[in-house]
Amino acid sequence: MKKWPNWTKTLTVATAFLLLLAGCSNGASTSNSEDTSGKESTGGELTYALATSPDTLDPHRSGLAVSVRAFRTIFDSLVVQTADNTIQPWLATEWTVSEDGKSYTFKLREDVTFHDGTPFNAEAVKYNYDRIIDPETKAANALALIRPYKSSEVIDEYTIKINLETPSAAFLSNLSQALLGIVSPTAAKKDGDQFGKHPVGTGPYKFVSWIENADIQVEKNNDYKWAPSIVENDGAPYLDKITFKIIPEEATRIGSVQSGQVLAAETVPPQNIVSLKDDPKTQLLQVNTLGLPYTLFFNQRNKPWNDVNVRKAVQLAIDVDAIVKTLYMGTYERAWSPLSPGMLGYDESLENSVKPDLDEANKRLDELGYKKGSDGIREKDGKKLTLNYVDGSPNREKRNDIAVIIQQQLKEIGIAVDINITKDTATVIYQNADYDLYGNSQVNSDPNSLLDIYHTSDPEKEAARRMLGGGSDPELDKLLEQGTIEHEPAKREEIYKKAQQIIIEKAVIIPIYVFPYTVAASKKVNGITFDSLGYPLFNDVRIGQ
Amino acid sequence: MTLISKALVRIANSFVSVLGSLILVFCIIYLLPGDPVLSMIDPSVATPEMIENLRRELGLDQPFYVQFVEYFTAILHGDFGQSLINSDPVLPKILMHFSATLILTLTSTIFSIVIGVTLGVLSAIYRNKWIDILARLVGLFGISMPTFWSGILLILIFSVNLNWLPAMGSDDWKTLILPSLALGFVGAGLIIRMVRTSMLEVVNEQFIVTLRAKGLSERVVMYRHALRNALIPAITIIGMNIGEMMAGTVVIETVFSRQGIGRIIADAIMAKDLPVIQGVIFFSAIVYVIINLLVDLSYSVIDPRVRRSH
Repeated sequence: MKKWPNWTKTLTVATAFLLLLAGCSNGASTSNSEDTSGKESTGGELTYALATSPDTLDPHRSGLAVSVRAFRTIFDSLVVQTADNTIQPWLATEWTVSEDGKSYTFKLREDVTFHDGTPFNAEAVKYNYDRIIDPETKAANALALIRPYKSSEVIDEYTIKINLETPSAAFLSNLSQALLGIVSPTAAKKDGDQFGKHPVGTGPYKFVSWIENADIQVEKNNDYKWAPSIVENDGAPYLDKITFKIIPEEATRIGSVQSGQVLAAETVPPQNIVSLKDDPKTQLLQVNTLGLPYTLFFNQRNKPWNDVNVRKAVQLAIDVDAIVKTLYMGTYERAWSPLSPGMLGYDESLENSVKPDLDEANKRLDELGYKKGSDGIREKDGKKLTLNYVDGSPNREKRNDIAVIIQQQLKEIGIAVDINITKDTATVIYQNADYDLYGNSQVNSDPNSLLDIYHTSDPEKEAARRMLGGGSDPELDKLLEQGTIEHEPAKREEIYKKAQQIIIEKAVIIPIYVFPYTVAASKKVNGITFDSLGYPLFNDVRIGQ
Repeated sequence: MTLISKALVRIANSFVSVLGSLILVFCIIYLLPGDPVLSMIDPSVATPEMIENLRRELGLDQPFYVQFVEYFTAILHGDFGQSLINSDPVLPKILMHFSATLILTLTSTIFSIVIGVTLGVLSAIYRNKWIDILARLVGLFGISMPTFWSGILLILIFSVNLNWLPAMGSDDWKTLILPSLALGFVGAGLIIRMVRTSMLEVVNEQFIVTLRAKGLSERVVMYRHALRNALIPAITIIGMNIGEMMAGTVVIETVFSRQGIGRIIADAIMAKDLPVIQGVIFFSAIVYVIINLLVDLSYSVIDPRVRRSH
């Protein structure tokens, strides 16, 4: 048999060998790099990888946190909330609140213009807030935040009075959120429902382009001089340009930072948090988001979960510490309360207040008449004690794994857990309320957000969307109503502390972890900061050489 | 039957296939649980009235057959509608992203053919030698490794560790290499096996013995005669692979953050964005049908026996 040319064999072997290599390497080794901490400079482009694509860049119509990360560069708000939960001026310089708490009068900055040259004034603010409540706009989360907004009156060019239906202590805090950012009236009128594709605001960066599933680009606004007090740089940003790349696959996203293809990437999975801490080229930024931590809600519409004693037994049987430590390897903090730490009124006394106690849990179920059967599962009146645990898909932050651990833990006290993973939580949870236990979290700025979740639901709202939990507690209702109208921060804190205590004492929920916002960035990048909600700010960012 | 009339019959059949796929998708989406209106607006703030209005606006309150007829009438007029999520017109959106997916499919196919045929032939010639075992192992890997996993491995090796190639994006030709490799492996695995098996069959046939007896060089016998005969079944596989690879782009485009039709449809299915799903299916069905047509016709070109039998 005649010999084949040597090169074919070599090539084939080389190809095959590469394939084998691909199968064996775990990519754990990292090459050493030169020290990159050097001089800072202005200019340059930051590439920042987002985990999902924004739905729209119209703040009034968006429903996604990821959109906020992009449009916080484009839009400013009237006020800003600082880390200690006080409200500071931004586009508004000062304000007064009426005696009855139902109207706010804002003095506005006089030197602000939108990116398209439209002057910023009281008319513009009025247009914005009226736009949010206009059903034509189809505003989503912004509408929930601006409630109980009624109307705006232009007093003079730079003075505006905003009237509310009812007093709301959360109003200023809500105004500080990017979802209530101020858009250019000229552009919004011109583009209508397409405004979210070419947004115009007053922010530190101007919108350049958005290529679907690829990237969003913004460039420096040279005229910018009205930065909020939470950033150091009062003037125009140092960077020339930011490109937000959309990279949904987490390994690719983090890999892109490590390979230098992008300079920063958000939402770092726990296993990478651990390894990135030793990476000489990469830094890890982590901030806890404000709002409601990841919390499991009992569906109190279903028996026996309407019984506080059964819920208590579950609370005593679930070892949350073990779950959080196992799954997040010490990178996430355990939650204790329906509020995240740092929220106004967060009750520190709840920390370490609940400890797992299997004997006590078993005792309670015994007393209620649940007897263990031959399979170790308890039953009463011929019915097995089964918990229908519904969780969403994809497996965000290992939430599905939490379900699996809880399934094992509850087996110890004779409760069978059925885990149902579904993509369609809109139908299963919010339309049919077909679950016993379901988890959720929320980013929000004011404890008044508890009202929408823990207050007894009214039938009209319930018909449109079932509330989580679905319980009813007159004492809690009263506290939450008081919290909405009480303006004195100290008194509000007291009210919300009591509310949190009731929620935990009655085991309405099982809080699991505080949701952190994480960013992996090249060490060349300096000055990424975060607002009080945990959204990134790019005013102070510089890229080193 | 001539080649042309055969092609015409095939094209008519293809039209039925495209229509059938559209009807099927319409029914499946209609029957799926979940409400597209609820995925468009946040139900926590929308009143039942708003939801009802939106449903009426989109024609989703109409009975099944009305929606069905309206949809097909529009398509016949070339109107694929607008996305329910961001009111983008569907047709330009698909046309804009389709080329990226086609290019990826094409390069993956080329990769799979080059790797598959080379290894398949070598493995048949050096049967039971170490190169054969290696080729079969590679084939097994290709078939059994999920693309998202091989894709991530390629990123770890060639982007993170070696820093040779970009991990993501669809800007230039360099971004094509890793996704094409990841996707091409799957097809390569099948082609290796197919080429190897049919080469082994062909090599034992009498005409090969005759050719050798005539004193032709081994290289001519293998390349010009054996390989050509062995390629016929492989072409069927390659044709099927192209379809598989188009489907595979759904995963690969997400892993490598590429633009393309795969990502569009993945997002659309999540959001139950019916017009977009329908549009993508329509175009994919057409491409699939065209490829099958080409494969069928290529038999006649490659194999004279097929040509004569008609």
